[in-house]
Amino acid sequence: MIKINNLHKFYGNGESRTEVLKGVSLNIKDGDFVVILGASGSGKSTFLNVISGLEPADAGTVCYDDKNICEMNDTEMTLFRKDTIGYVFQQYFLLPNLNVDKNVKMGADLTKNTNYRSLIEAVGLADKKKKYPHELSGGEQQRVSIARALAKQPKVLFLDEPTGALDEATGRMVLDLICKLQKELGFTMVMVTHNQNIARMANTVISMNSGRIVEEYTNSSPQSAYEIAW
Amino acid sequence: MIVSIKDIFKMIGMLIVSFCAVIVCAMFLNYHLDLVTVENLITTELSRNFYKAQLSTARVVSGLSGGCLLLTTVVLLCFYIGHYIGTHQKQLGIMKALGYTRWGVAKHFCVFGLPILVGTALGYLSAHLLMPKLYEIQNKDGYLPDVAINFHPGLCAALVLAPTIFFALLAVIYSFVKLKTPALALIREQSSHKIVTSKKDRDRPFLDELRKSNVRQKKSLVFFITFAVFCFAAMTQMSCSMDELASEMMSVMIMAIGIVLAVVILFIATTSVVKANNKTITMMKVFGYSAKECTSAVLNGYRPWAYFGFALGTFYQYILLKLMVTVVFKDLSDKLEYKFDVPVMLITLVVFALLYELIMFAYTKQMEKLSVKEIMLD
Repeated sequence: MIKINNLHKFYGNGESRTEVLKGVSLNIKDGDFVVILGASGSGKSTFLNVISGLEPADAGTVCYDDKNICEMNDTEMTLFRKDTIGYVFQQYFLLPNLNVDKNVKMGADLTKNTNYRSLIEAVGLADKKKKYPHELSGGEQQRVSIARALAKQPKVLFLDEPTGALDEATGRMVLDLICKLQKELGFTMVMVTHNQNIARMANTVISMNSGRIVEEYTNSSPQSAYEIAW
Repeated sequence: MIVSIKDIFKMIGMLIVSFCAVIVCAMFLNYHLDLVTVENLITTELSRNFYKAQLSTARVVSGLSGGCLLLTTVVLLCFYIGHYIGTHQKQLGIMKALGYTRWGVAKHFCVFGLPILVGTALGYLSAHLLMPKLYEIQNKDGYLPDVAINFHPGLCAALVLAPTIFFALLAVIYSFVKLKTPALALIREQSSHKIVTSKKDRDRPFLDELRKSNVRQKKSLVFFITFAVFCFAAMTQMSCSMDELASEMMSVMIMAIGIVLAVVILFIATTSVVKANNKTITMMKVFGYSAKECTSAVLNGYRPWAYFGFALGTFYQYILLKLMVTVVFKDLSDKLEYKFDVPVMLITLVVFALLYELIMFAYTKQMEKLSVKEIMLD
């Protein structure tokens, strides 16, 4: 369970100081699929970065099973990231000098996961494991990035606009893959998107505007990536 | 302006290397030219032998140091231009797309000759400030008639103007070649995807793989780090071992140049390694790798090359001094002896190890400070 309580985040100093998160509180259940919706500048990406430990909060608490990550020092935070979270970025951020196999190994070696190649197969890239990132399409690179994040067997997977740079067909394929892997492996998933249709796939939907949660609801029957509109 | 003054300031390494090259060459070549003028005044066989040895020393020292540092400056310049084009691909691509010709863009790179002009001019002036002391020491031996300092305009042109023009032209030609990439590829930053792949695909741990891959991708940095340590090892050991072959002033100068060159090049190379790996380090931190593991993957691959540079520098200075004693000074009545100085080598090795680890420690601390948010700003 992730318990987020009264989270505040500011950017800038003096007169240009802006409050990006204005006292956000939320509970995320284990194994849940949460989608955070919001327009550009709503604070959704900052919220994701703070609750995943990539950015420090200015006030409030983020507790993973009662451990408040806002109070952790650098070493504790490194261990927390290693043991708990996986991250998928919109821009993939694969290591350009390493092939698919070695990129996925980046995640696998952290938890001594020797079975990581099954994930490369699961994302449909078994025949491309010797290819380098620049030799892959955008969709393939995102699939490598998903395999890399899952290879470290995270308890929570954070995804920041994972389909933002992909076309519709590739986007649907990537989302379908993520959902299947989530059901199979049982991790908690928190995804930020501005695409309202993707929200139909989630169990829990959070809408943000101007640094606040303005709506929170549960989908009684989540749809698949091929059922939603794009 | 395509290349700004701020970009030129980043080329402090080239300025320092050219300064070092010219200060040594100017002093010894000026002395060489002035020494030739007293040839007719030499009467004894001993003096003639000493005269020949002095001429050879001046030629060897200026030729070796000048040649070596010229090569380093050429590599540094190509590295800087390559790096500049690599980091400004988008802007250069847009200019090409808007209709600027390759030549129209490349000609602006002539400003890369500016640090060479400043470095060589400062080197030449400093050499003239130090020359009275050098001449005083050389004249003190009494083997030769007193040699007076003369200004040689040709030497000034050869050491200041010629390198400036040469490097400005080299910068234009090299950038002209590098800008061959089509405009769209530059805009999409596709030319930076020249990946050097491993011939053998071994199943190594990720950190080992990344370490080896980093070294494979940046061969110019391997050269710089090896060369920096080579300079340090050769010049510091040489200056401590040549007490009978050269004056104290020359020893101190050689040691100072060795240390300055090594530290400057090592800092430039390490900064470049860390900057080039900023995203990799950030991603590793996002995944939960510790700062120690990041340092190990990014910097440790160069350590064997640094020690190889030390061994090479030690061997080089031994051969050079041995040659000086057996070839250059062979005709002198006082037979000079040279033996490899083990204690000096050991002390230099310890000093080098401490200096190297100190620099690596400073960069580890810098890596620790890298914010994981940096990657999101891309």
